[in-house]
Amino acid sequence: MTNVKLYFRVTSVLNTALLERQMKVTILNGNPDTSNHTFDDYLKNLSDTLTASEHNVTTLVLRDMDIRYCVGCWGCWVKTPGHCAARDDLGDVCRVYINSDFVLFASPVIMGFPSALLKKVQEKAALSVLLPYFEQVNNEVRHVGRYPRYPRIGLLLERSETCDDEDIQIINDIYARFALNVKTTYGFTRLTSDPVKEVADEINHL
Amino acid sequence: MKLTIFNGSPRGVNSNTKILLEHFINGFTETEGNSYELSYLVRIKEGEQFVTLFQEAEHILVATPLYVDAMPGIVKAFIESLEPLCGQKGNADIGFIVQSGFPEPNHSRYLERYLAKLSARLGCRYNGTVIRGGVEGIQALPGFMSKKLLKTFYELGRIYGKTGKFDEQLVRKLAGPERWSRFKFGIMRIMINATYWNHMLKKNNALGKRFDRPYGVESGSTESV
Repeated sequence: MTNVKLYFRVTSVLNTALLERQMKVTILNGNPDTSNHTFDDYLKNLSDTLTASEHNVTTLVLRDMDIRYCVGCWGCWVKTPGHCAARDDLGDVCRVYINSDFVLFASPVIMGFPSALLKKVQEKAALSVLLPYFEQVNNEVRHVGRYPRYPRIGLLLERSETCDDEDIQIINDIYARFALNVKTTYGFTRLTSDPVKEVADEINHL
Repeated sequence: MKLTIFNGSPRGVNSNTKILLEHFINGFTETEGNSYELSYLVRIKEGEQFVTLFQEAEHILVATPLYVDAMPGIVKAFIESLEPLCGQKGNADIGFIVQSGFPEPNHSRYLERYLAKLSARLGCRYNGTVIRGGVEGIQALPGFMSKKLLKTFYELGRIYGKTGKFDEQLVRKLAGPERWSRFKFGIMRIMINATYWNHMLKKNNALGKRFDRPYGVESGSTESV
């Protein structure tokens, strides 16, 4: 009996080791500025590198999507549960998001925070994938999850001239909180000054 | 003293933020000669005017709900429009009110750090951030339950109108305990989950759909229906 258990244990560990090399990765490109080619090029490069390691990568360029600001109507909770009542392109984001293994939030830092474009999508998507109900997790009130599983998340930032280490730390801490809110663990905060290969390796080893 | 106020709620004139501000303003205008100008950031088309108002202000108050661990998208868009003012302002002081649906103030502490840094970035003197949790219910609750809270905002505004500062004791009182006990949460959960949310779901004829997973592959999809 013990041997049988051990056998299953070993095969499941092996399976996990083999399967974890292939992930569905989504990159949310929150760069609002079409003239900022450096940022988009970095993401393209990262996407190519991840694809070369057998990952299935989807990049959503948020500025090209029709997504309205959240108006706080709670439609996604009490009128059309699970999707935004505005019926804009948010559904495309939610579908890709919830079916991913890893989602990279990517944005230049503007006034010490990721873009309004990224935040707008982030807050709407988060509400859609959660239930309105409250639960207490680690002694804090949170929303109950709507889906059985959630992607891990990470953040990629491009420093602006005025962005210092404290800014990066504040953003990192807010995203770590966001991860708790959307029922997952926080992967990392990385900068576009890091080599693409390093960021890809970090995603590989998640 | 003239106070330039920005209401950052995406719900605009129908917001809980507006209700808190109303009581703050009533207190603020108790002091003779005090006046204020109030703008709703949700009126995005007036964006240019907001920047001018901010630039010309001597005392600024930004009140906002917490949206998913930070400022709402419209508030971030407003902050981005202020970028040309960085380092220009020397005189204005700025304070913030952050209110959340989650009951504990801890959820807003991270945005508080950002707002303190933002003030420095804009060259404004930072007056602090007033944090209040559990505000979502105030319009649904019977009047007597929100009365105390609104009175405290009135008092906060009254003292601010005289001194130009948020009263520290009232700020602590509004924030309340950083963590809630299991007992207190247990009672709140019944009120919020069973009463508040299910009532709203029923009202919209959506109670049967409340657990829908329209975007999940593994689950029964309703998206195609």
